[in-house]
Amino acid sequence: MTQTQSPILTIQNLVIKFTLRGRVLTAIRNISLDLYKGENLAIVGESGSGKSVLMKSIMGLLDKNGYIDQGQILYNTQDLAQFRTEREWLSIRGKEVAMVTQDPMTSLNPLKTIGKQIEECVHLHQDLKGKVAYEETLKLLKDVGIHDVEKRYKQYPHEFSGGMRQRIVIAIALACKPKILICDEPTTALDVTIQAQILQLLKNLQQKYGLTTVYITHDLGVVAKVADRIAVMYAGDVIEIGKTHEIFFNGKHPYTWALISSLPQLGSKGEQLYSIKGTPPNLFQEIKGDAFAPRNQYALKIDFVERPPFFQVSDTHYARTWLLDPLAPKVEPPEALQAFFAEGRRYAHES
Amino acid sequence: MSHKEVVVEVKNLKVVFGKGKNKFIAIDDVSFDIFKGETFGLVGESGSGKTTIGRAIMRINEVTEGQILYHGKKLNGKISKEWDREITQKIQMIFQDPMASLNERAKVDYIISEGLINTKNFKNEADRQQKVRNALLNVGLLPEFSSRFPHEFSGGQRQRIGIARALVMEPEFIIADEPISALDVSIRAQVLNLLANLQQQNDLTYLFIAHDLSVVRFITDRTAVIYKGKIVELAETEKLFANPLHPYTRALLSAVPEPNPYKERDKVVEIYDPSQHNYDIQPPSFIEIEEGHFVLANEEELERYRTSLKMEVSK
Repeated sequence: MTQTQSPILTIQNLVIKFTLRGRVLTAIRNISLDLYKGENLAIVGESGSGKSVLMKSIMGLLDKNGYIDQGQILYNTQDLAQFRTEREWLSIRGKEVAMVTQDPMTSLNPLKTIGKQIEECVHLHQDLKGKVAYEETLKLLKDVGIHDVEKRYKQYPHEFSGGMRQRIVIAIALACKPKILICDEPTTALDVTIQAQILQLLKNLQQKYGLTTVYITHDLGVVAKVADRIAVMYAGDVIEIGKTHEIFFNGKHPYTWALISSLPQLGSKGEQLYSIKGTPPNLFQEIKGDAFAPRNQYALKIDFVERPPFFQVSDTHYARTWLLDPLAPKVEPPEALQAFFAEGRRYAHES
Repeated sequence: MSHKEVVVEVKNLKVVFGKGKNKFIAIDDVSFDIFKGETFGLVGESGSGKTTIGRAIMRINEVTEGQILYHGKKLNGKISKEWDREITQKIQMIFQDPMASLNERAKVDYIISEGLINTKNFKNEADRQQKVRNALLNVGLLPEFSSRFPHEFSGGQRQRIGIARALVMEPEFIIADEPISALDVSIRAQVLNLLANLQQQNDLTYLFIAHDLSVVRFITDRTAVIYKGKIVELAETEKLFANPLHPYTRALLSAVPEPNPYKERDKVVEIYDPSQHNYDIQPPSFIEIEEGHFVLANEEELERYRTSLKMEVSK
């Protein structure tokens, strides 16, 4: 992996709140996170864990009732958390950070040809006009794997299939020449065969354009394919972060264990699949201690009282669980997982 | 399968939408049996016709040609009133999106008992309430929830209400159309377990329609792979995953991402190219290549598949 350990974007002690019918909801609870140059970071978590909110906040796309309460988002010596006006954000959005959204059916303008939609970004962000802009658009179309580009340029979104439309969305994002590309569930709306193609395309483009990519997803299969590093989120907090193989095969937080154990791939037919009991916490209320504690069979008393700090597992791997405290009782991961971990170690050994 | 009583028999099913120039053949000559107590999986990409088959069995889509038999009795076309009532009760459906499939203006009590009311399948008010109570308890919800509205529930709970609505009719056969794709990862496992438990308790037969092959592998006994309205391969699920024969099945299986970064890193995804078959010269047929393993192929391909099967055994 081409990973120089220099952060391109640093999030520090970020707290994001929303006001909803007079009540305050804390969506992001004091997150600190470095995004390294050239890496593929995956943010995983269930809906409502705040993964999309976190990424929207670095593009200034929070809903009107949402605001950054505390903390900093440092990018190129600027603190994005201080941005107030749309003008300030326009210097970042698109140019520096671009986004590929989930549903290619709704993210394109149905009334404009796809060529014009891409060219619009080429014009705005690269300041090209006329023939040059046209040529650049065709090049982008080729880059995202579209054939017969002159003809396709003149077509409308409805003439494209879902996978092809997602390619167009990616081309639009690339037209802005961003440094960071955020992919918010880029393949959830697509079929598996198409999904594999789009993921491969994103990987190739990441190398070709030297991008830093962030994937927001809940599909651990996708994560295994694309990510160098994984951040696991739960209830507005990053609870574990590490290299992909560290999270998959040496996870430390019980929530990470639970997420992996509940994959159908780990179950066998006729037996109960591991499932997480209960529901995620109510974010309107203040969360004390470890947010996962009420659903956690391994919870210690301290988990209900004090928020665990990040314990270091390796140079790249950190987990927010009291189980890693030297004083904590030794807890083995669930049985189903141990076989999975062993398999991972075997693969690690081989490579 | 120890007992092989056929519950649903689909024979040369053809479903055509539109007429003349706009004619579209959604399902083309599809045949399969579903045995009692099993979970039969139907996988394919969007537009392949998997939902159309489910809807044809539900009698929502009209059958153009062919037959669907339920316990050996025809259920498509003109049927008697009593038979119609019986299958309405015996065949139930669970839908994909629990956010869209429940009536927002009705209380849970009404949502669950609507089917009962329509078929007058209860003795008196007390009996109806008892049935609703039992259905709720069966899916792991509290009976008190019956006086609430759908918006008060989470996605997983709403899907449970959808399941309770099917169960209250005391069905034999349930068509589950992507029942967990709209749910969150942590909730999926709960609903999958629930479906498996209910199957055991109530001796249910499932038709499980899905595009997520890892789920299909976990829950189904036999699986049919459908591509552009035709079943290309059908076998016991484990066999299908171990020995996929048809190139489309192979492509589909290779595209499923596995939760193992080491394996994923060097995996080569196969791409299915329909032009590889020369069906113009030799049209294919749906043939049982080994016991319980069907594949759509012509003679030349069959020969090749047979050789590859022999190779598998000798390994």
